[in-house]
This record gives sequence, C-alpha cells and structure tokens, in this order.
Amino acid sequence: MTYSTKRLLGNIGRGMILAFFLLLVILPIYWMVISSLKTNAEIINAQEVTYYPHEITGANYVQLFELYDYRRMLSNSLVVSVSTGLCITLFSIFGGYGLARYSFRGKDTMLIFFLVTQMIPLILVIIPLYVIFSKMGLINTHFGLFIFYMIANLPFCVITMRSFFERIPYTLEEAAYVDGCSKMGSLFRIVLPVMFPGIVAVFVFAFIGAWNELIAGTIFINTSNLWTVPVGLKSLIGKYDVKWGVLMAGGVGALIPTAFMFAFMQKFVVEGLTAGAVKE
Amino acid sequence: MGIVILYLVGVASLAVAGFWLIDRHIRKKGTTRRATPQLKKKWEPYMFLLPTLLLLLFMFGYPLINSFIMAFQNYKLTAPTKIHFNGLDNFRKLFGESDIWLIIRNSFTYVVVSVAGQFLLGLILALALNKRFRLRGLYQAIVFLPWSLSAFVIGLMHRWSFNGEYGVVNDMLLKLSIVNEKIAWLGTPGFSLAVVIIAMIWMGIPFFAIMILASLQSIPVNIYEASHIDGCGPLRRFFQITIPYIKPTIIVTILLRTIWIFNSFDLIVVITNGGPANYSQTLPSYMYTKAFSSYDFGLASALGVLLMAVLVVYVVLFLKTTRYNKAGNF
Repeated sequence: MTYSTKRLLGNIGRGMILAFFLLLVILPIYWMVISSLKTNAEIINAQEVTYYPHEITGANYVQLFELYDYRRMLSNSLVVSVSTGLCITLFSIFGGYGLARYSFRGKDTMLIFFLVTQMIPLILVIIPLYVIFSKMGLINTHFGLFIFYMIANLPFCVITMRSFFERIPYTLEEAAYVDGCSKMGSLFRIVLPVMFPGIVAVFVFAFIGAWNELIAGTIFINTSNLWTVPVGLKSLIGKYDVKWGVLMAGGVGALIPTAFMFAFMQKFVVEGLTAGAVKE
Repeated sequence: MGIVILYLVGVASLAVAGFWLIDRHIRKKGTTRRATPQLKKKWEPYMFLLPTLLLLLFMFGYPLINSFIMAFQNYKLTAPTKIHFNGLDNFRKLFGESDIWLIIRNSFTYVVVSVAGQFLLGLILALALNKRFRLRGLYQAIVFLPWSLSAFVIGLMHRWSFNGEYGVVNDMLLKLSIVNEKIAWLGTPGFSLAVVIIAMIWMGIPFFAIMILASLQSIPVNIYEASHIDGCGPLRRFFQITIPYIKPTIIVTILLRTIWIFNSFDLIVVITNGGPANYSQTLPSYMYTKAFSSYDFGLASALGVLLMAVLVVYVVLFLKTTRYNKAGNF
C-alpha cells in the first residue's frame, strides 16, 4: 500500500468517526425539537412513531407561554443567572488576582480548600443550608438561590481566573505603576482588558451553572411565580400524566441561551476549562 | 444565646486551628515554584480574597460542619421539638435498610461505566479532532454542545427517547428487528440504570474530548517527525509517544470526573427518580430522597458523612498519586 492510499484510508476513517459523533450529538436534539413541533395526537401515537412532524404546530409553545407562564420562568432564570454571573466574575477577578500575584501564609492551603470544595457533594451542603435559610427567611427567595449558586461555582471560577492572571506578565503592571497608575487603576485599565478571554469564560461558567441547575431550585423555591426554568418544567412531569409536547418545547427554550452562548464563546470556554482544571 | 456564641466561637477556633495545622504541614514540604514574581505585602492578598473567603466560610464551611453534627442527631424536620443527639443510631438505621447494598452497587456501576464510556469516546473524538480540517471550529461548536446543556434537558431528552410506548429507541430497535416487542426501559431493573448511564456518557464526552484535545495539541510536532524518520509505525507512535504525553491529563481528568459523576444525581432524578424500586438509585440521590421526602435530615446527613469518608480516602490517594498540590498549577 502506498503512502497516499494509506492517507486516504486514514481520512475516510477519520471522517466516519467525525460523522458518528456529529450524529450522536444532533439526533437527540433533533428528536427534542421535532417532538416540540408535533401535535399531541401525533406524539402519543403508539402505533406509528413519526420521524418528522407530519403536521407542524406551534400549539405546544403557545400552551407553554399561556398556560404555564413560561415568560415568568425565563425572566426568573435570567435574573438569578445574570446576577450570579456578574458577582462571581467580580469576586473571582479579585480572588484570582490575589492568588496569582502574591505569596502569603496559607495560600497553598487555600488552594487545596478550593479544590476540595469541588469534590464535596453539594447535597451535603444543601441540607443544612435549608435549615439556615429558613431561619434567615431566605427560603423561597431568589437571593437564597443566588447565594447557593455563588458558593457552588465560585471556587472553580477563582482557580480558573488565577491561571488566566498568571499568564499575564507582571512587567505590564510595573510599567503602569511607573507611569503613575494606582493598584486598582492598573488592574482595571491595563490588566483586565488583556484578560478578556478569562473574564468571558468565568462569566459563562457561572451563568451556565446557575441557568442549568435543578436540584437546589426545587428545594429552595416552592412558589410557582418564583420558579426558574428547570424547576418550573419539572412540575409538568406528573406521576401519571406527562405533557411531553409542552415539556419538549420548554426544553428547547431552556437550551437555546446556553447553546448560543457556548457556540459563540467556545474558544474562551475551552481555554477556561483547560486552564482551570488541569495543567501538567 | 450564650451557648450559641460559645458554639460559634468553638467552631471558628476549630476551623482556624485545623487550617493552621494543615498549612504548617504543607509548608514543611517546601514552597512551590512560581512563574510570576511574588509580591510580599502583608494585607493586600487577604483583602483581595476576603469576599470569597467570607462567603465560603459562612455559606459552605459552616453548613458543612452543621451536617456533620446532624449526622449524630435525631433531626427530623417534621418534629423540630425532638431534636437531640442519638449517637450512632442514624448509621445503624442506615445499614439496617434493606436496599442499601443494592444502592451501593448501583453507585459503583454507574460511576465506573459512565467514566469508562466518557473516557473512551472522548479520547476517540479528541484524536479525530487533532488534525486541521475545514470547518473544524463549527464542528467543535456542535459536538461540544452537550457540555453547555443542563442535566435537566438532557434527562428529558433521554427519558422521552427511551419511553416504553412512544419512544423512538424502541421504534428503531423494532424496525431493525433487534427486538420483537417494546421494552419498558424505565420500568425494568437494570435497564433504567442503563438509560441513566447512557445519558451521563452523552453529557460528558465533550469534557473529556476538550481536555484530551488540549493536551494532544501541546505535544511538540518534531517528536512525531523524528519518530517518522526512524520508521515508527502509527500504532507504536500512538502507544509510545501520544499516550505517555497525555497520561498526566488523562489521570487527572478521570479522577476529577469520577468524583463529579459520583456526586451528580440530577439525571437520575429527572429520568427515573431512582425507580423502579431503587434499582437506579445511587448514594447521593438516595440522600436527596431521604432528606426531602421524609425530611429525616439526621439520616440523610449520616449518609452524607459516609459519602465524605469515601471521598476523602479517594482524594488523599488522588493528591498522593498525582502530586497535584506540588505542581502548583491547577
């Protein structure tokens, strides 16, 4: 076999693998989208499962918004996720800077504690937090949920931000001091603009973490007008009756923001993931 | 009131003492090497970290200590006046439950099969992506998409696809004549856990692929060129160059992921809710069920302490084998 036929075979093999993974990802999403566009009769037709909607309808989406107040859920999710994202970004800029630029007592221990928090099952924290929140009157408030999403995502984001800071040479800051810039001035005017990928990555992590969360939402929130998207949609799964069409429509609505965010910020997110978790 | 203050002071001083002890232990081993110049200002770093530390101390550390105390208490939310210490009663009750060994076995199967599946498929995807082709950016944006989706949506998708009556999986299996009649995936012991595992694998492939791909791209090209000149075949190249280079990443990713998968149970809640009859229940999901259906926080916390014990052993081994803390960068 000559070199070029070998290469051709290799390319075909690679192409098949790539096609396999593409289908693997797309098919479940496709199934969800077309299910949301089917009529209820077509969805629960056990005789014939249709692979594309024979009759396209927006009824599920209309029902979702009119019967189940999806707009409310979306805006609740948005409020909680954006505030979590912004606060975490701010906290981890400071925390990451402190960890990257200074050596101080307790630093290594602190880093290990941050790492260990990533390994503790969060349900172990949720249980006592439920008691604490009910004493503080934070059950059934978005603020309680916000606090929980902060602690759940902050350690990882601080660690990620630290590795982004470490890539920026300190001389850049020194130059700013020489030119008469203050500490905060150099941080916000010189360092942060260069840090843009890190900031985007951390915001996306925090936003997605809060937007996608289900368990704490079901525990801390129990009035329907405060429900976030996953919590509200979960209430549509009854014991005997599951509204599949509406659920699928809701699922499509829930995945659109994070999917677009990811598609456009992919480069930063990938960079952040690899910077934050592992480095050999 | 006095007792509360005493208690808080006690907790705080214990935390400080523990921190100091661990810190001394670490510093004895020598300080880590840093790439950037390190500033030595006494207060500045603490000021930068203060917001994060305070939040974590009060909303993460304090609750955690609470749950360790609850584990040794008769703590039922339905009977708030009868809260008292009861020694090891919760643990005795826990191991007296008939399903506990089934649940432990489920957890084990769930973690091992999910990690193995994610790793193998992630590795294959990363290897296939490690060469430029047209529209690679777009392809990655699609294939890595499951990373950004919520467990809730993914669970919903799989629950619907594996639906016994109207599900597309059954229909396809029937059409390909692999089965003769529809399978009640979510109502059959064994199959229900399998569906959860499939969903978990689907969700986690991108993470492994991203990690391994980044590490593949850091392998210097001239090593491959040299091996080519020396007449090294593709198989040998893979096992003697690629694998040794990406091994540290693989180890760390697998270990971190194992813990993460073990702890995550939202897929289980969405797809099967542990059913049928605990056949797809894992330890954390069981803990959730115990805590928020019977409101027996004492028992749930006891289960949590058990989980933590397992994880601590695992983490210590992890830090030892990978020298994670010495690397200085994580």
